[in-house]
Amino acid sequence: MSIVIRKSTIDILCAAKWIARRDCRALSSVPEKVDIGEEVKEKVPGHKPRAHNPLLEYRHVYPEFLPDPNPKWRNSLREKMERADMLKRRSQIDIPEFYVGSIVAVTISDPHAQGKTNRFVGICIDRKGSGLRAEFILRNVIDHQGVEVRYELYDPTIQLIQVLRLEKRLDDKLYYLRDALPEYCTFPLDMDPEILPEGTPVPLNPVQVKLKPRPWLERWERQELKGVSNIEEHLKEKDRVRRELRKTPWEKYDLMKQYRKTIPAEDQSEIWNEVYNQLQQMRVSRKKMSRKRTFATPKTQLA
Amino acid sequence: MTTSNMKLLCTVLGKMRIDNIITRSHFSHPRFRPPYWYLPKERVMSDELLTQENKDFLEEVKQDKLIHQSALVSPLANNEPQELVQWNPFTRRVGLIARKIGNYPMWSKDGKKFQTTLLQVVDNHVIKYIPPEEFKPMKSSKVVWKEKRKLGCLLIGSETIDPSTVTKEYCGLFNSVGMLPKKHLCRFMISPHAALPTGTPLFATHFRVGDHVDIRAKTMDRGFQGVMKRWGFKGMPASHGVTKTHRRPGNIGAGGEKARVWPGTKMPGHMGNRWRTLRGVKILRINTKHNILWTLGVAIPGETGAMCYLFDTVLPLKKLNTPPPFPTHPPVEDLPIEYHDESIHLFDEPTITFEES
Amino acid sequence: MFRILMNKLSTIQSHGFHTTTCLNEVQLLTRLRVVDNSEIGKRAMAEGKPPKVICVYNKKRVGYIGDRVMVAIKGQKKKGILVGLKQTQKVKVPKFDSNNIVLIDDNGTPLGTRIHVPIPTILRTILKERTHAKGADYTKLLGIATRFV
Repeated sequence: MSIVIRKSTIDILCAAKWIARRDCRALSSVPEKVDIGEEVKEKVPGHKPRAHNPLLEYRHVYPEFLPDPNPKWRNSLREKMERADMLKRRSQIDIPEFYVGSIVAVTISDPHAQGKTNRFVGICIDRKGSGLRAEFILRNVIDHQGVEVRYELYDPTIQLIQVLRLEKRLDDKLYYLRDALPEYCTFPLDMDPEILPEGTPVPLNPVQVKLKPRPWLERWERQELKGVSNIEEHLKEKDRVRRELRKTPWEKYDLMKQYRKTIPAEDQSEIWNEVYNQLQQMRVSRKKMSRKRTFATPKTQLA
Repeated sequence: MTTSNMKLLCTVLGKMRIDNIITRSHFSHPRFRPPYWYLPKERVMSDELLTQENKDFLEEVKQDKLIHQSALVSPLANNEPQELVQWNPFTRRVGLIARKIGNYPMWSKDGKKFQTTLLQVVDNHVIKYIPPEEFKPMKSSKVVWKEKRKLGCLLIGSETIDPSTVTKEYCGLFNSVGMLPKKHLCRFMISPHAALPTGTPLFATHFRVGDHVDIRAKTMDRGFQGVMKRWGFKGMPASHGVTKTHRRPGNIGAGGEKARVWPGTKMPGHMGNRWRTLRGVKILRINTKHNILWTLGVAIPGETGAMCYLFDTVLPLKKLNTPPPFPTHPPVEDLPIEYHDESIHLFDEPTITFEES
Repeated sequence: MFRILMNKLSTIQSHGFHTTTCLNEVQLLTRLRVVDNSEIGKRAMAEGKPPKVICVYNKKRVGYIGDRVMVAIKGQKKKGILVGLKQTQKVKVPKFDSNNIVLIDDNGTPLGTRIHVPIPTILRTILKERTHAKGADYTKLLGIATRFV
């Protein structure tokens, strides 16, 4: 009995702590949410004029440097060691900036393949995991057969990650491409990389895909997808009614849910301060190397 | 002749005393018996009406003590390595107290991925040594016929805490060593010649890369659980006329002679929060700066942030073959930051490539 | 009338009900896709009667990549090797949009002469391991593949 009482008091204390922290966060002026869209951010009333922190932009470019927000698994020292290992791996191989919707070519050393290397090209349909666990899924249609391969970002057998087309799509996850017509994810394996001029923002591809008729793998109509054009064609009255019933419009006002899903801005800036210099140095040195290479290639051609 | 023999027998029998007769009419839970070096630690916290000056003063004293503690030189540092005491396979060394801080994947040289658990050794110090002659643990009801191996008892503390949060008696245990009280205190049974002087700090380098350790920790507390979660029973069907018994155990015994619940029947009850030992865990990597051990596998009991105790393994095939740092690794200034096992691929090594066979 | 006919046709194509679980496991009565150009396989796929699994030759009775299965195809019993799976695969192993099969005979010789979809490279190692000196030679299957991923 006594244990129960003690536990409950601890719970109350924890809850009080949570609430206190939340209040503090509401006062913080820096944009703190990771997953929320632009509109919601603007609605949040700021007490001071919002300071724009360039460091926080890194969360889009290097999302795997942010740890899992579940407090059960957080430990600052482990995260630090993990980040150090990630930077060590990044010093060996250039892991470029890419997003869900970008077209990526991955070359791995494969003990099963004939030349001991294997290359796959595809559109990135998901990026998940944090730290050394980060992984991404590529999808392509080869010989009229849809193929998906999952890669780990920090796997030491990956020889090269090349971004063939850097762009974003309208949705965070593109699993609906599995049910879309095959031309939306067919990419030639010998695709040439498209080089964006320096300093341009990452283009957003507003293409809307067409889905095949049902049956589907998931109930796409309930997921509020922006990148699908013909979802209404395949729905029956029953599905529309169900969709209305299942809607959760209150979730965007659930501050606690957002808090649990994200890393606070203060923690984030700490992380970015730690890794910023090294990442920047690596970027600069890579740029120099690539310039040298471009200078070097015409010489070889002449010779 | 016979009478003398009878007499002898009588005297022998007369000397024999039977003072431990175990009569167990019902199962009684083993009560918590504190070890005799145990001193109550928890204290009732009251709001002391201290002035700001006094509070500052207390803080200053604490800082002074902390500085004093960190300035303590390890007794092993200035001693010459003693040639007399040598490690042999029957020696029992001291262990470590570590904290589980999470897990992340690593890759082997042939490109295979495996999960590792990180254990941090947080300022471990030797607090007290009780030689085997003085060490008399509380009598158990079991009569021990065999003469046991004589082992000494070494107390190791971990994680310094604020002395005002614990009782005076508990602080006294550490004051004699000149140290601030520790959060965790653990007893290690060791061979007498593996004894360490009090105040010796222990580091992660106490173990070597490639060694196997036994890890003792408390499992995750899952509370009162049903039979399906606790013992993995199958439960009963979800439909086909089954009512109210979807997750219940069903029959727990037969009738007739055995018309009772047999001891050891698997039933619902409290699950987890028990001491469990995971034996033969390999150490893959050691960081000497932060005192972190990377161990193979994720099966170490407890959640992230739980404490665990590390020992040299007792498994016969994984036991130590070569002499380890004995009695412990002395504090050395110029250690390499990291030690690695040969099988793992370091993250700053070039990409793995496979040769055409 | 036309609608009824259409409905019937659609049920044949999508089978109307699921025989596989949500894990997309290959188990008893799973419909597979023949991806080689053997006569019987081509005709079965063209008629919209893809083969059904009637036995998976392993202990678990769930087919994984490279496993041998027995299928019922056009009223006959044939053996085949799973060369592509729909279920979630390990890292770096491709996952396909359909469960693919290549028909073989008892010696491991494929019935067709060409496989017209890509094949995972890990199959090379798996099939080499499964092939023993006196048993069936499954590596012949690798010879008729057109592309590896």
